[in-house]
Amino acid sequence: MSYYFAIIGTLDNPLFEYEFGTAKQGGDGIARFAEQARHMNQFIVHSSLDIVEEVQWGSGQMYLKCIDRYYNNYVSCFMTGGNVKFLLLHAPSTPSTNTTRASTSIAANPTSPQTEEAIKQFFGEVYENWVKTIMNPFYNVNAEVKSPIFRSRVVAAGKKYL
Amino acid sequence: MNSPDNVSSPEPVASSTLRMPKTRVSTDAQSMISSISTLPYRASNASVSSLFASTTTPTGSRAGSPSGGSRRLMSESVFGASPGGAQQLAPTDLPGDPRNLLMRAFIPHIAVHTSDDTHQMIKDKGIEGGLWELLRPFGERVHGNVTVRDSVGAGKTYDDFAVRFVQLGDGLEPPDVADRKSQEGRGIAQNGEKPDSKTAAQRLRTGGNIAQIETLVDRHLSFAEDYPTSKEEDYLNYKDAHVRDHNTPSPFHTLYLRRLLSGIPLAPHETFAHPVACIIAISSRNPNPIDALRNLYQDSTVGSKRLPPWVNGEYLRYYVLVHDEEGDDITKSMTLFDQMKKHFGLHCHLLRLRSSNCVSTDDDCLQLPRCEWVAASEELADIQARELEEDIEESYPYIYESDVTAIKTFIREMVSQSVVPSMERNVSMWNDQVASRRRGIGGRFMSLSKKWTGFGSSSRNSSGSGSPSSSTNYDPIQGFYRPDVPEAIMRKLADYAFMLRDWKLAQSTYDLVRSDYNNDKAWKYHAAANEMAAISALMLPQHMSSKVRAETIDTMLETASYSYITRCGASYGALRCLAVGIELLRLRQGSFTEDAAKWGMKLLEFKVVGVIGDALLKERIAVCYASKKGAGAGLWGSRIRKSALWSILAADAWLTLGKVQQSKRSLEDVTAKYSSLPNSNSLDQFILANNFLHGLQKEVQLALYPESAIEGSGNMEDLIDTSITEESEAFESRPHRRSLMGASGPPAISSLGSAPLNGETVFEEVVSPALKFE
Repeated sequence: MSYYFAIIGTLDNPLFEYEFGTAKQGGDGIARFAEQARHMNQFIVHSSLDIVEEVQWGSGQMYLKCIDRYYNNYVSCFMTGGNVKFLLLHAPSTPSTNTTRASTSIAANPTSPQTEEAIKQFFGEVYENWVKTIMNPFYNVNAEVKSPIFRSRVVAAGKKYL
Repeated sequence: MNSPDNVSSPEPVASSTLRMPKTRVSTDAQSMISSISTLPYRASNASVSSLFASTTTPTGSRAGSPSGGSRRLMSESVFGASPGGAQQLAPTDLPGDPRNLLMRAFIPHIAVHTSDDTHQMIKDKGIEGGLWELLRPFGERVHGNVTVRDSVGAGKTYDDFAVRFVQLGDGLEPPDVADRKSQEGRGIAQNGEKPDSKTAAQRLRTGGNIAQIETLVDRHLSFAEDYPTSKEEDYLNYKDAHVRDHNTPSPFHTLYLRRLLSGIPLAPHETFAHPVACIIAISSRNPNPIDALRNLYQDSTVGSKRLPPWVNGEYLRYYVLVHDEEGDDITKSMTLFDQMKKHFGLHCHLLRLRSSNCVSTDDDCLQLPRCEWVAASEELADIQARELEEDIEESYPYIYESDVTAIKTFIREMVSQSVVPSMERNVSMWNDQVASRRRGIGGRFMSLSKKWTGFGSSSRNSSGSGSPSSSTNYDPIQGFYRPDVPEAIMRKLADYAFMLRDWKLAQSTYDLVRSDYNNDKAWKYHAAANEMAAISALMLPQHMSSKVRAETIDTMLETASYSYITRCGASYGALRCLAVGIELLRLRQGSFTEDAAKWGMKLLEFKVVGVIGDALLKERIAVCYASKKGAGAGLWGSRIRKSALWSILAADAWLTLGKVQQSKRSLEDVTAKYSSLPNSNSLDQFILANNFLHGLQKEVQLALYPESAIEGSGNMEDLIDTSITEESEAFESRPHRRSLMGASGPPAISSLGSAPLNGETVFEEVVSPALKFE
């Protein structure tokens, strides 16, 4: 499973982007997106903002679960308090040889409750760090976040849960 | 456009053919395009260009006004709190409305069976195909109003009723060959006779071949690329208000849809192509008229022209005496006609035609109208014939105005006095005798008992020759129901009701019969019944909630496409079902448009369409998303970004096919859509995506105006260079894309194409994003 995580500001601009792969079950944590199609991740995430803007009013939750699908790419969303959106695109890897093990893992079932729960935990941890980061007095609203510490914490969260 | 004379020079054609093997996108595209490029491409021929021009922009395909767009939407989304019938349908007043298209596609077929002397007489008039070819264009719109009574007895008047004239036996395919794409598979007729030229011509008139539809649309597209006519230009440069005016369909998509629906093959699982009536015609030249009529009748009933056993043979016979105004005596014909009436009853007509060949210099001549509903293969053959033709002047044959009036009167009389009443009678009879019995409690019990105990099998089982499931009427070995069993009659009833536009009866009957087919495991029947149940439910002009939709329409479309593809391998059926379903869903606005887009994506995933259909579908998905309108100032709930994404994908697909004009149009859509967003420049900061979009724009620009490549593109403000690599990539790959077109590029491009660039790898890199994501 490959992940593309983006934090989208209130003006639909990306504040933070990070691509990573699964670290579970012997994954090496490297995203397996095709090099020629990497721009599609951004397109998909950008286009699913349409859906986010609709479903965000539907439930009182911050975690909106999986909201959109583009072929084999699933998009999960988390709304923060300031209308900044966390979007996680997850693309399950194509079935490999060890299917028996993969079939139960979160990587193979992008819409299963286990996956949802894992993504929720990931979002929760990222949100905590996000709040701490933007409390920085030198941070401007809708500016790109370049903090290496934030990035490393996102990396750690991704390793931990996904 | 930039160099219109390029087609006449043979050199680029040759070079593009030579370059072809290394620039293939897929085998499909390759075979299709090469088959075109091997043809002598002589589009300068006037009759060909008139053919292209008239078909790409048919009268029906350009909507006059986007009046259907003013409805309230989205009842179940959070923004849809507004009251009012959300998924109610607007009246079908738009010419581009898919419902109009459907009403003109699924129409009664009338077979024409003539004696040799009639054929000869019509041939003397300059019409090669005989009487059916003369009648065919006039059947596409029956003159005057036609009143149809529905199942509850309420009369409804239509001024656009249509019938289709076919030659007896047209559209006939062996059931097992029906799905093969190759034309060779159609060579052998059902009864094993060798395919001579006559049957070959009949095969041409059979539609349902996706590859040929693609080829045809590709020809039209290539023509539009090379010769953007004023009208076409107008359409392509239709910049302003394009996003809002998505009700104007692309002419090529309309063409695709129309060719998909024309020439419906004669098949057991649906009876649309089965004849509703048969015209049996003799001419006044016949020395032995009554006997000739009898022989023709015998021919069509038990003789060599008999239709396969799954066609219900009890269709109306209509006897026509074609009187030769110039060669024969009218009093003699009148006596003969009286005699005919005595023998055959009321279903007779005396058609008075002049037998001499009409030329365009005659006073009261009219050109035989062009048929809009011809199968793709027939139109392709027509185009090829026209390209090879030496005589440019020769176009469609002319006929006398008096003949036109006679034919129109004849068709009108036949349809309103014989065909429609007999269909109504059949509908009410079958409805009373078969369907209502099945609908009642006893019918349900019968079908249950049949399923569980085989209790009802005593009186049935007339055709189940040794099959293990002897309790069904379905013959699994030959794969059809006999036409006299209730399942087949109910299907026919539903089809008749559909053709008479009684959607309610059609829908309920399809719904009833599809479970029977499911029990009998008659998968193709099952698929077709599901397809039509979904379509007729969508044709019903009443409100439908999204919950009902998810339970009925979506399930039926799902079942139909699954049965068609997985169980029967009938990709044509699946494509037709979903393509029509998408259009009808899109009409209903609100969340239905999203559902339409979802089905579009599914259809792409099924991979039943070729490269042209792929691009058209992507465009269509973009239109579906664009049909969903937002609420309030922020356009909340709209799908502009989704729509823009699909427009980009379509632009990429068009560019890969070398259809630069289409690509340009899609990109203009993209620009308009993004700029209509509240945050119009939000994509700019997604660097990779933005680079890709600009790369596409630049490639299109370069392909359209090659000179700008030499000057450097710095003067174009919308094409800001983002990186050096992007530019060179665009530069290198463009000639190869262009060369896919099969025709010729302008000289500037072909010289670029032979430049020593590592085109192979770059091409791979540029093309694969589109392929990757499917």
